[in-house]
Parts: sequence; C-alpha cells; structure tokens
Amino acid sequence: MPHWFFISILLAFLSLDVTAVGQFMVSRPIVVGPLVGWFLGHPNIGLEMGALIEMIWIGDLPVGAHLPMDLMMLSGVSVAFACELVGSQFPPEAVMTYALGVTIPLAALSTEINIFVNKFNVRWVHLAQRMALGGHFKTFAWINWFVVVELFIKGFLVTAASLILIHFTSGLFYLFGTILNGRVMEGLYYAHWLLLALGCSAIIDLLIEKKNIFFLVLSIVAIMSLAIFDQMQGVYLVSIALCAGFAIALFFMGKGEKND
Amino acid sequence: MTEEQPVSLNRKDLTGAFIRLFFIQTVWNFERYLSYGVAFVMLPILKKIYSTQEDRAQALSRHLEYFNTHPYMASFILGAIIRMEEEKQQLPKAQQKQKEEEISALKVGMMGPVAAMGDNLFWATVRPYCGLLAATLVLSSAFQVKGQYWVIPLLFLVVYNVGHVGIRLTGFIQGYRKSDQVVLTLRKYGFQEAIRGLKFASIVLLGVLIVFVNLSELEKEMGLFVLKLTFFTAIVGLFTFVLRRKISPSQLFYAVVLFALMLAFWPDISAMPKDNHFISSKPAAAAGFMADKKPIKGKL
Repeated sequence: MPHWFFISILLAFLSLDVTAVGQFMVSRPIVVGPLVGWFLGHPNIGLEMGALIEMIWIGDLPVGAHLPMDLMMLSGVSVAFACELVGSQFPPEAVMTYALGVTIPLAALSTEINIFVNKFNVRWVHLAQRMALGGHFKTFAWINWFVVVELFIKGFLVTAASLILIHFTSGLFYLFGTILNGRVMEGLYYAHWLLLALGCSAIIDLLIEKKNIFFLVLSIVAIMSLAIFDQMQGVYLVSIALCAGFAIALFFMGKGEKND
Repeated sequence: MTEEQPVSLNRKDLTGAFIRLFFIQTVWNFERYLSYGVAFVMLPILKKIYSTQEDRAQALSRHLEYFNTHPYMASFILGAIIRMEEEKQQLPKAQQKQKEEEISALKVGMMGPVAAMGDNLFWATVRPYCGLLAATLVLSSAFQVKGQYWVIPLLFLVVYNVGHVGIRLTGFIQGYRKSDQVVLTLRKYGFQEAIRGLKFASIVLLGVLIVFVNLSELEKEMGLFVLKLTFFTAIVGLFTFVLRRKISPSQLFYAVVLFALMLAFWPDISAMPKDNHFISSKPAAAAGFMADKKPIKGKL
C-alpha cells in the first residue's frame, strides 16, 4: 500500500476528533472519505464511499456507554484500499463494495480496541485523583495531554496495521475477478445499488416515524414528478427540497407550540 | 487568620474554560465517564478562586466524581457550576458546605435530562440531517463534475458546527449567567421543536435522495426510471422493516452482498453477456467513472 505511513498519520490526527478533541465531526466518513481519496488521487471514490458509509451506519449512535462502530477507521482504510484497486479493469462500484466488505471486520476490531482504551483510561482517572489530592496540579493537567498522545499513537498503529493487513487481500479480489468469469464482480456491482437502498432505510429508521411514512411516499412522488416533467434536477432540486423541508418544519414547529 | 478576599472571574478566565470544554471527553472511561474532563475545565478556575493549596485540592477532588452527559450540552452545566463555585467562595465559611452540596446536586440532577436532550438533538437529528444533506449532494453529482470535491464535506462541517459551537457557547454563557436557574432556561430554546422540525425537513430531502439514486435511468427511458424507482422504494421499505427488528447494519451489509452474489450466479436471472461488460478492457475507463459524469440534466 503506497503512502500507508502518511495516511496513518492523517487518520490518527482525525481519530482524535471522535471523542478526545472537539467532536467537530472531521472524523465522519463524509469528510474522511473525500480527504483520503483526494490524498490518493481519487476524491470521487472517497466522496461516494464516504456518503455510503455515512448513510448505512447513520443510526449507530454513541448514546450512554455504547461505543459505535469505528467509522473513521472504516471509511479511511476502505477508501485507501478502494483507491488502490480502482485502477484495475473492474467496475468501481464492485471495488467499493469489496473494499468495504473486507474493512468492516477490521473496524469492528478497532471498536474493541477503543473499548479496551476506555477501560484503561480508568487508571488515568485514579492517577488524576491522587494528583488532585496531593496538590500536583501540573501533573493533573498533563494527564490530559498524555491521553491525547496515547490516542494518537493508538490511532496510528491501528490504521497502519489495518492498511498493511488489507493490502494482502487485494490478490483475492483479482482472483475473484478473473477465475469466476466476472460473476463475483457482477454480484458486487448489484450489491452497491442495494447498499444505497440499505443506506436510505437506515435514514428512515432513524429519522422518520412510522406515522410519517405517507409523507415520505408523497415526497418521492412529488420529486419524481418534478424530475420528469419540469426537468428540475441536480443542485436546484436539493435547494427546493431544503426550502420546502424548512417551510414544512416551521409549520409543524408552530403547530407543536400551539399544542403544548 | 485573615479572611479570604472574594475573587471574580474575568472574560479571560471564562474563555480559557470554554476552550478547555472541547477536551471534556479526552479521558472518557467506563467508570466515571466525563469526570476528568469536568475537573480539567475547572482546574484554572479553581486555581484562581481558591487561595490555598488545600482548598484547591479539595474542590478539584469534588469535581472528579461520576459525571456523564452529552459533551456539547455539558456547557450549560459547566457554565452554571463555574458561577456557583465563584458564588460559594464569596459566602461565609459556614454556608459553603451547603453550596458544595448544591453544586453536586445540580450536576447529578441535570446530567441525565441534558444528556437525553443532547443525544436526541445532535446525535439522532442534527448530525444525521447534515449527513443526509451531504449524501444527497454527493448523489446529485453537482459538485464532482466541476472537480469541486471539497464543497460537500466543507458544507457538512460548516452547517453542523454552526449549530454545535453555537450551542456550546450559548450554553456556557447562559449557564454562567443563570447559575443554578439554568435548568429553567433550557425549555425556551425549543430543542424539542427543532428536533420535530428537522425530522419533517428530512422527509423531503430523503425523497430527493431516493430519486437521485435511480435518476440515471431517466436519461434512457422514463418508464424504466419509474419502474426502477418503484422497485428501489419497495426494497428500501423491506430493509427498513428488517432494520426495525434490531438487526445491525453490518450484518445486513453482508446479507445484502451475499444476496447480490447469489443473484449474479443465478443462471436464469443473470444477464451476463458473453463478452463480459463488467470487466472493462480499459482500466482508465473504470477509474474515472465519475469524471465523465454529466451534471444531472445539464442544468448546472
């Protein structure tokens, strides 16, 4: 894997955003994907994969003590791997599906490592307690920066190991592509379209209540009609949807206040 | 023994504490969650408020008790407890113990409701809405064709962080101004109404996303577009039904890939031509698949 060192450094920095520093969401797939893709010369692949990962795992929330799947690692490593494979003779949709499929177990492993780190952090809090009681305030404050460095190193090692590991599965991809007369590639190509449907379902599952499904169907029909008859598409259609959405939102917000 | 002089916090102290708020989750752990983060934010404040090492140590230890809430909404609580610590130091010694208990009670009493509000507002509504907006723009191919790949992630970050940093700052300022009365101000921000509104707004945007996935067919044939869109919507409905049965997205991912592979190997369904179009003879053609994509209907 070319550039594995620089990608690991980049992803280690971005991994700090997940919990340690800020939570500005620079570690979300929609940002990490295009960034890694741009770094490797395929921003389009990064953008498409980032959007797909963002959609599919949109409902995996860090609520309470639950740690969601390490999406930063999933998007960064899978995009880097897809960029490596995309120059081959196979369709990019199949490449993206394959790259995601082989990276998911590694992302799950990374999540387990995150859980271990969070258990280990208990020791830092106990140390902080001793420092506080002893009046060692400088050491107390330094614990914060030690943990930032610890998380950076963890992010680097996990990403670097994943990138190196995943590189060895590229042979399998070419094997699938050639010995089975392209059938596997065809399947992976279809899967990409189905995964977009899965992404839409994940959004519905999280954002749309059962009683509002009718409005969603109505919205699809309205947008479809606009697309067919008014030739109103692309970014203009998104703008119209945003304005309409906010108008409806304001209407229902007002209604809610009256009901309260 | 001399009486302690009351100390007031200035703008610089509060700005420092606000910046430290962005590190509240650094030492997140399964025993005391954000406790270290709270103490880390409070450290320079306590150093200024309390004159003796003993008082500082005692106050810092108090803030290392169990604390778990939403990282953004914690600003409301942190602002309030900074003000209460300041007020406590200005009280006579006899009343300070009671103020300590009030500070602890405020933290314990507010962390649950504020966490629920923050989780619902940011994790379950604002972030998914921004993600949905970004995904819709990606599928519209509006910016990719011009090579402006950076626009969509940047838009996502700007839209999200205006809300995120805005709430953190407002919460911190209001918490500091209102002190233990901050809980009464939370309702006036209309978080519940915002959640309801954004969920309605996402219905329209999701409609656009679903249409965009199948829009390439419209350039070929209208009937095929409508048929594919209907089929796609039905599949989305099926997947939603499965997801509501609490099956994880990762499991469903592999199930979908397996199903698609079976479909490809099924002899009657597979439309595999003899000259396999899924294996392009020109690698560059496959690599630049989106570089050649036209903006949808060329309106851009």
